[in-house]
Amino acid sequence: MFEQPQGERAPAKGVPTLQTIKELGQMATPAGPWGEEMPFHCLTIIGQIEGHIVLPPRNKTTKYEHVIPQLVAIEQNPKIKGLLVVLNTVGGDIEAGLAIAEMLTTMTTPVVSLVLGGGHSIGAPIAVAADHSVISATATMTIHPIRLSGLVIGVPQTYEYLDKMQERVIRFIVQHSRVAEPVLREMMFRTGELVRDVGTVLVGAEAVRVGLMDEVGGVSTALTRLAQLAAQREGGPH
Amino acid sequence: MLYTVLPLEEVLEGFELDPQPTVQLSWGGIPVEAEPLGSFQARVVRVLSTDPRHYLEPHVQPGTIIHGQIV
Repeated sequence: MFEQPQGERAPAKGVPTLQTIKELGQMATPAGPWGEEMPFHCLTIIGQIEGHIVLPPRNKTTKYEHVIPQLVAIEQNPKIKGLLVVLNTVGGDIEAGLAIAEMLTTMTTPVVSLVLGGGHSIGAPIAVAADHSVISATATMTIHPIRLSGLVIGVPQTYEYLDKMQERVIRFIVQHSRVAEPVLREMMFRTGELVRDVGTVLVGAEAVRVGLMDEVGGVSTALTRLAQLAAQREGGPH
Repeated sequence: MLYTVLPLEEVLEGFELDPQPTVQLSWGGIPVEAEPLGSFQARVVRVLSTDPRHYLEPHVQPGTIIHGQIV
């Protein structure tokens, strides 16, 4: 643990921003005060979703053990009126992903997800776990089957296991979005859309059209929805 | 997948070097991931909070060198 120094490290007045970035790799932030509590918190899910295996340092990861306690803290803090989950993920550990998704969906704090860039593979259950899901117009979501890349499936049990994992993901997505199960399965096993794989890439509005996501929008759309959900919760019985 | 005008060798320069190990610590109540620079200094790599205010605090901006004592 580090001890906080008193009154040190105040940035020098009049140092141009560009110079600061060049020398320290840091950026000046707008001046405060930031005393008042912000009603909505923001959780970014970026890179690989890391679960049981620590990924090599080159990977940018979202770690299970960072995210889960934060969700517990948010759920318990009455001052936090909502949570915006921003996703830009390539997927990752199925069990860690499903754990985050289950946590989000069982929170009483209103949750809105915003997919920016990409919400692929296990990112899809996390995106639909929110009370309201928003996808930006240019964001993509890849729906494809679970598989062990580079491994030959040798015994039927391996296949059965993968199939069970697959069912868990499908069931979760179907339960938490408007997408019909046959549609989801068809998209997952579609051939001819991905270069070297089966599956489907959904871009922005397509994800809404198939019923996976609720709305196309951006940060203001997501925050407006969060404010509405928070207002409903305040007004309703507890 | 990269879409950039920079040549790939420039983008991936130093890729073979392993990044420095990092530690997680609380800096003035803000959880951060930092790269230790000896026993008394560390460089902030990223903020690990969901509170948007923490991302506006100048003393934990990524790249900032924090001084302290490991206790």
